[in-house]
Amino acid sequence: MDKWKQMLPLTEAFYYILVTLYAEPSHGYGMMQEVERMSGGRVKLGAGTLYTALSTLQGKGLIDHHPGAEGADARRKMYAITQNGREVLAAEVGRLEELLEAGRHALKGAGL
Amino acid sequence: MVRTEKRWHSWMSWDYEKEERWLNELSAGGLHMTKGGAFRSEFERDDTVRYTYGLDYQGGLTKKNGKLDEYIELYREIGWEYVSTYAGIWHFFRRPWEPGETPKLYTDRESLVGHYRKIQRLMIVMLLLNAGIFCINMTNIVSRIDGAVRWGITGPLLVIYVGLFTLLGYGIMKIKGKIKKIDGE
Repeated sequence: MDKWKQMLPLTEAFYYILVTLYAEPSHGYGMMQEVERMSGGRVKLGAGTLYTALSTLQGKGLIDHHPGAEGADARRKMYAITQNGREVLAAEVGRLEELLEAGRHALKGAGL
Repeated sequence: MVRTEKRWHSWMSWDYEKEERWLNELSAGGLHMTKGGAFRSEFERDDTVRYTYGLDYQGGLTKKNGKLDEYIELYREIGWEYVSTYAGIWHFFRRPWEPGETPKLYTDRESLVGHYRKIQRLMIVMLLLNAGIFCINMTNIVSRIDGAVRWGITGPLLVIYVGLFTLLGYGIMKIKGKIKKIDGE
């Protein structure tokens, strides 16, 4: 997992996009909706933010185009997570767990 | 029939958000931009609609490499209608206005700073390119022409280039200030 360390931390947008695609391939609008749902409406991906995130993730080989389903709106581009993307996400979740644990420990110690 | 109106108006790339606000104000008054430019824009009058405009800088998108269609389609999915482009690098979008919200193209710090940096990079490249052209021109003139004629040519040229360098330098600093403001928040 060490080889992914230089890509971390992920921005919220990158992180949530990888989480969304981990479950199943999706298109832009689907990702935007799913991210909004997961974050309880806190993270709303703007078109520019989503577009640059998808280009960057694709450029780094963490996601890739996914052939669309038959009969689906052909113009809509589908994206899928790659094996590298799965590994980066796993590494990031590991990093976040460490942060959370330290934070929780501190809060408990302070009696909160 | 929809009437087309043209307006002379210029905006600077580092101030594109100001341009967005201007377009939104005009749209609130019934005048909607249909073709954007650096100096002249076209509008249509229609009192039944109102839009929110978004300006986006993206280089390297062409019909040929398929990236332009992909780009336009993604923005369409998110609810933005493609209006027009200027110079193939500035792209104008709009969406129906909704009360109480101003939708933005860049919704987090990282991507907004990334957008600013791309604009800044273009201005730096233009500055260096023009500095190079300026040096070549000056060397040519100075080596080939003598006396009073030399200054008759180099004088005005100097004024134009100094103006251009000042403008670009100013823009680069303005964008730098914007990035600093976000990073320092």
